[in-house]
Amino acid sequence: MPKLIIDQRSIEVPAGTKVIAAAEKLGIMIPRFCYHPGLGSFGACRMCAVKFLEGPVKGIEMSCMEDARDGMVVSTTDPEAMEFRQYVIEWLMMHHPLDCPVCDEGGHCLLQDETVSGGHGRRRYLGHKRTYHDQYLGVFVQHEMNRCIHCWRCRNFYQGFAGYRDYGAMQIGNRMYFGRYEDGPLESPFAGNIIDLCPTGVLTDKPCRFVGRRWDFERAPSLCLHCSLGCNTTGSARYRQMWRQEGRFNEMVNGYFICDRGRYGFAYESHPERPRRARVAGLEVAWAEAIQTAAEKLSQIAATAGPAAVACLGSARSSLETQATLQRFCRALGWSEPRYFSVPSQERQVKAAIARLEAPLAVSLREIETADFVLVVGADPVNEAPMLALALRQAWLKGGAVAVLDPRPVFLPFEFEHLPLAPGDLEAALEALTAGAGGTDLLAGGSPWPLLPKIAALGRRLTQTQRPVIVCGTGIVRESTPGLAADLVLRLREAGLNAGLFYLLPGANAFGAGLLSPAGEGLTPLMEDLETGAVKALMVVENDPFWDYPDRGRLVRALDKLELLVALDYLPSPTVQRADIVFPTLTLFERNHSSFVNQEGRLQLAPPVHLGGMPMAQISPEKHPPRTFLSHIPGGEPRTPGEILAELAAAMPAPVTLPGDDLWDWLSRKNPVFANIVSLFESPPGARLIPEAVPAGTFSPAAAPAAAERPPDYLELLLVDLIFGTEELASYSKHIQPAEEPPRLRMHPADAAKLRLSSGDRVALRLLGGTLEVDLQVAENMAPGVLVLPRHRQLNWRLAPDYRVMVAYGDIVKVEA
Amino acid sequence: MPEVNDPRRGRVNSLQVVARATAGLWHGFMMVLWHLGRRPITEQYPEYKRSLPERTRARIILTRDPDGEERCVACFLCSGVCPVSCISMAAGEREDGRRFAPWFRINFARCIYCGLCEEACPTLAIQLTPFYEFCEPDILTMVAEKKDLLVDHGGKNHDYNFYRFAGVAMVGDKGAHVDEAAPVDLKSNLP
Repeated sequence: MPKLIIDQRSIEVPAGTKVIAAAEKLGIMIPRFCYHPGLGSFGACRMCAVKFLEGPVKGIEMSCMEDARDGMVVSTTDPEAMEFRQYVIEWLMMHHPLDCPVCDEGGHCLLQDETVSGGHGRRRYLGHKRTYHDQYLGVFVQHEMNRCIHCWRCRNFYQGFAGYRDYGAMQIGNRMYFGRYEDGPLESPFAGNIIDLCPTGVLTDKPCRFVGRRWDFERAPSLCLHCSLGCNTTGSARYRQMWRQEGRFNEMVNGYFICDRGRYGFAYESHPERPRRARVAGLEVAWAEAIQTAAEKLSQIAATAGPAAVACLGSARSSLETQATLQRFCRALGWSEPRYFSVPSQERQVKAAIARLEAPLAVSLREIETADFVLVVGADPVNEAPMLALALRQAWLKGGAVAVLDPRPVFLPFEFEHLPLAPGDLEAALEALTAGAGGTDLLAGGSPWPLLPKIAALGRRLTQTQRPVIVCGTGIVRESTPGLAADLVLRLREAGLNAGLFYLLPGANAFGAGLLSPAGEGLTPLMEDLETGAVKALMVVENDPFWDYPDRGRLVRALDKLELLVALDYLPSPTVQRADIVFPTLTLFERNHSSFVNQEGRLQLAPPVHLGGMPMAQISPEKHPPRTFLSHIPGGEPRTPGEILAELAAAMPAPVTLPGDDLWDWLSRKNPVFANIVSLFESPPGARLIPEAVPAGTFSPAAAPAAAERPPDYLELLLVDLIFGTEELASYSKHIQPAEEPPRLRMHPADAAKLRLSSGDRVALRLLGGTLEVDLQVAENMAPGVLVLPRHRQLNWRLAPDYRVMVAYGDIVKVEA
Repeated sequence: MPEVNDPRRGRVNSLQVVARATAGLWHGFMMVLWHLGRRPITEQYPEYKRSLPERTRARIILTRDPDGEERCVACFLCSGVCPVSCISMAAGEREDGRRFAPWFRINFARCIYCGLCEEACPTLAIQLTPFYEFCEPDILTMVAEKKDLLVDHGGKNHDYNFYRFAGVAMVGDKGAHVDEAAPVDLKSNLP
């Protein structure tokens, strides 16, 4: 641990720390442009020059390029260093345009700050200013190359950190250009980060173009709800509307960066059709009247048909507060327990994963970066949990290896081993790996499975590592797969490896929903209850079965049998449009604090960004604030589901009081993992809602590993996620919609050859509920025997009876143009 | 003049004090008497309206550049610097890409006419004029919208066009502005 002195203060830092980072630990921010703690040193801008007075290095040196070493005495305020930095600023400003007033970076521009603090004011160079042509970089990033100071941060992130190649540096010296070879949208789904990284206004946020200055925004830490990873963001709102999300540093979760789905998915919050008033039978009514009507009708149905006739459906995207209040509400009124998933298989998968995630096994996204081998089972990181792909790349950059067992044509921005196994074979592969880790010779039995030698080789590599991590998805796998992944981790730990487990879940708070769902098999699936008529009234809290239920026909028939459908939501979803009574709710950006549990059990709190209400741009035809004084916020009627449920409970004929302030106490009495919730809030990134117990492995005796039997002439249809277009909240975002790629059905060349189909063909897929037409793409790198179809919002995929459907060859026909 | 009651100076002759006070009194009376005979210099407002210097700080206008375009680029510097927060606006992008203010509002009931907005304005758009006569019985009518503020001239400067110096392609393409070199040709290796 080298010990050095910076500005007369001594500090001891781990070996390998740069002087600029050591100074930052002391609270001294050395000016910099190219250095970024998430990207490391580069030495391009010469801005972080300091004077080394004593020690192994002497004189003016770049603090981002020098490792902290024993005996160093550094002065950041030495006149010589200050003068050097003043010259650097003057050089950088030589070609910088004077367009700060029309630049969106103005106000939070690092170059602006350093110019002012360096005292530079007048350009002494008499030559012409260098100019560049700008490029169209897609719908997210605005390019204004004249402003560039050649710090390389964008390229270092785009090619180095994220691993995409279509954006980079061109030309040399003073003519250097950062852009693409030709105009076109940036291919990386992480491209938005170069906006945050750009120290000046070359790359700015396009959806937030010309909206406001940093000092005018209402800003607060927030969370991303667009996958289960729970990345931390900073939200910016102005005039009652969210405008921008940026990555916020969280050491254990996302680091510094976020993906574009998280960055631009927020606009569901200001969707023009978002419900803002309470509605009864399609008509807007006074809030109290809607509460009264709902309470009367619900209690009437509960009184006549029994309390089991009223069902509540929560969701995996609600906050933990909402989920818990819903359960408390149902218990207080004596109704049956709420469900949180409309698709029963999802609920079972989530519960299977949560049941096996214990503190010693669980790893965070950050810990994956230090793994030396990551085995991804049944997950497509870029599409299901994009930041996981970047974490895997960091592991790969540090010398780790990544192997993916997944039927889909998985793409990752680095070299990895892909074994395209059918979903049914994933379990056999996991069992084989577990057996192999236990010492069984997999190839001894002479199994006819052609992929077994590869799996056996993978198993041998796995056992030779130190810190392997098993990543297990829950999107397309069987319900018992998460348990098998946990078994493999336990077996590896028995073998002396420091193995970790990382699940992906469907929904930002699927973990919370799983914790609150009844244990075991629990309730009969909601659809069956609706179909038999056992449930006559349904209250849907921030859920939209029309979004994720695979069988649209069955869902409509079941909902038609209902006497009453009450919806609480902030999305203009089909469920809300169909509901008899609608209560508008608040998004996580508005007025209240909400907590979410990410897929590793980490409880995170999201404070409100603004107070809510109708965006200014939507309230007056002149698009300016009204010229009258109001005593209320227009469109400010929505409340949290917790408040609405408390009002409903109080309005019942036999009123029940739902106290709002002891929710955490109530939760900790219900489930022991909630018991240390207080300490979670005291150390936000540090603790998780998972049991501390050291689990014992229960290994089933290794059966002979073999591929699962598949009926001939059938293809298994997999309904999968895409980065844009399949996630519910982001699909309502007007910023994401133009970035969506047209959905395609993907198929293995062998299957395509049998069906005489080729890429680009229009294919009709006959499913139980009707025929679906979609373009075909033949993909080499996927498993034979499966069809991969995105659950895209533009696609009527809800014709399948289930998430797991077998499609006969005869049901896939080419549509002649 | 020695201080009368300064204890450091010791005793002062009281006769001197009386003499000086009497002289002062008479001086005042004589002054009044002298002015009685002069022509009055008070100007009767509103019967007589004096023309004020151009730099007088009163009602605010939004001016136009020599090409007749709105000078305001909605940069938020005036609203940021305003000590009483009487300026508010939104920024937007016109169809041709020009940054402008879709709405711009100044609450003159709150404005203190300090002129900081004019000083902050990088495009010379917002300017204070000598026009000060606008009292209204209803305070809401003192809230001026953009249509009330926008004028069709350049105010104190008729020549300046921000976009000729800024370096963004708005009036003319890249490289066509004051002191700019032709854009770098990415496909050429020539120096």
